[in-house]
Amino acid sequence: MKPLNLIAILLFLSGAVWALTRSERTVREIQASYFSAIAPFLKSGSETEAYARSFLDEVHHSKTLEAELATVNSEMGRLRIVESRYRELERENAQLRHALDFKKATSFNVAAAQVIRRQPTTWWQTVEIDVGEERGIGTQLAVLSNEGLVGIIDRPAKDRSSVILLTDEACQVSAKVEDSPEVGILSGQRGQFEGTPLLRLKFLSKNAALRSGQRVFTTGRGGIFQANIPLGAIVSVEKGAEDSEALVRPAVNFADLGTVFVVLSKDPPKK
Amino acid sequence: MTRYTLITVLLVLASFVLQQFLPALTGLHHSRILLVQLVFLCAAVTVGQPTMLLLAFVCGFLWDAQCTLGPHGGDPEIYSQPVESLRFGYSILLFGAMGFLMQGIQPLFKQGKWYFSALLSGIAIFLYLAAEYLLITFVRGNFIFAKATALQMAYTALLTMLFSPLVFWMLFGIASICAHSINPEAAKKRRRHF
Repeated sequence: MKPLNLIAILLFLSGAVWALTRSERTVREIQASYFSAIAPFLKSGSETEAYARSFLDEVHHSKTLEAELATVNSEMGRLRIVESRYRELERENAQLRHALDFKKATSFNVAAAQVIRRQPTTWWQTVEIDVGEERGIGTQLAVLSNEGLVGIIDRPAKDRSSVILLTDEACQVSAKVEDSPEVGILSGQRGQFEGTPLLRLKFLSKNAALRSGQRVFTTGRGGIFQANIPLGAIVSVEKGAEDSEALVRPAVNFADLGTVFVVLSKDPPKK
Repeated sequence: MTRYTLITVLLVLASFVLQQFLPALTGLHHSRILLVQLVFLCAAVTVGQPTMLLLAFVCGFLWDAQCTLGPHGGDPEIYSQPVESLRFGYSILLFGAMGFLMQGIQPLFKQGKWYFSALLSGIAIFLYLAAEYLLITFVRGNFIFAKATALQMAYTALLTMLFSPLVFWMLFGIASICAHSINPEAAKKRRRHF
């Protein structure tokens, strides 16, 4: 072997070992520098993707969209009435609380965001949204849709953030089953890119008496997710020697994610 | 040669930019064109070992900066069995291994048979994805290999390979501009022929 090649291999291996031994914080700093350098292209890339997707959607579903728009419009009208009633009640509630000298005990602040990019990496189930640190987004904040839990913020940048979806194996959520004492850890399953992905609820008791259709919610334990966010419904239960596991159909339609909400401040989750 | 090496590094950096414009094809088992890997593989067969290793380091480092997931976080009492993720830097070794694979058929490329390298680039992409998937399985346990995953890998390799002639054409063009021969034996043969 030529001496130059040997030196190159040694340098390469030293570089690889250096990279492999970086701390989590250093990796995050490297990632932040990389994404800030590539930010203008990311924006153009996601705009192209959004444009292509909306064009295809328009071509394929123009009739469906028309019908959906009519339904949404009527629903919006109904919700406006409900909202105005709700605001009235809220005002009345605040007045009563004030009168009773109650301290406001809860706050639940969300930032609305649009999904601008789907699955930018090969193996991880992630999306990118159009809000970032500028709007107060930090890591490990829950992301919701009007159907339930979508995922968790992984990497916020200045004006965009990466979200690990609930369907990814790395997104774990402490979950409980309604009308049952069962609690467990819910996560996605590996390699489920096709069709409707199913989630796996692990560490249930050995003789978990669950039935298909029972709803699953967050427990609020673990310091990340608030309590009682819908996660999905039980599909089947697999009994094991030491514990049981259940397959759960997610509440959120992940194939059709548009607007999502990042929970900025909330009731402190239970430890 | 220095100019060619420099332009190859710039080409690899440009491929990272272009990669942002290439989404996953949902209709084709979520396959995608892995442009960064393709440019690296095609460039690896045209350069010497030290340059190939430099390109492997740059590609692996930036690829991991783009793709690495952070830790889940949360209370360790509740999330007592966190799902392990691949360490930052693993791609450097994978790119290096792919580069050595491509350099294995460098003698054929130097004879002007670039199409063998194009074919091998597809095989290397498939092996790269398979190695990545096996690494994920190794760190997380529980071997699951769905048909959809195999199809995703196969379509990704095939789609990416289809673009390799274009990348080789660009590399030949760059070499010509830099007055650097990337397949000297083929050039000698051509001179003899004329």
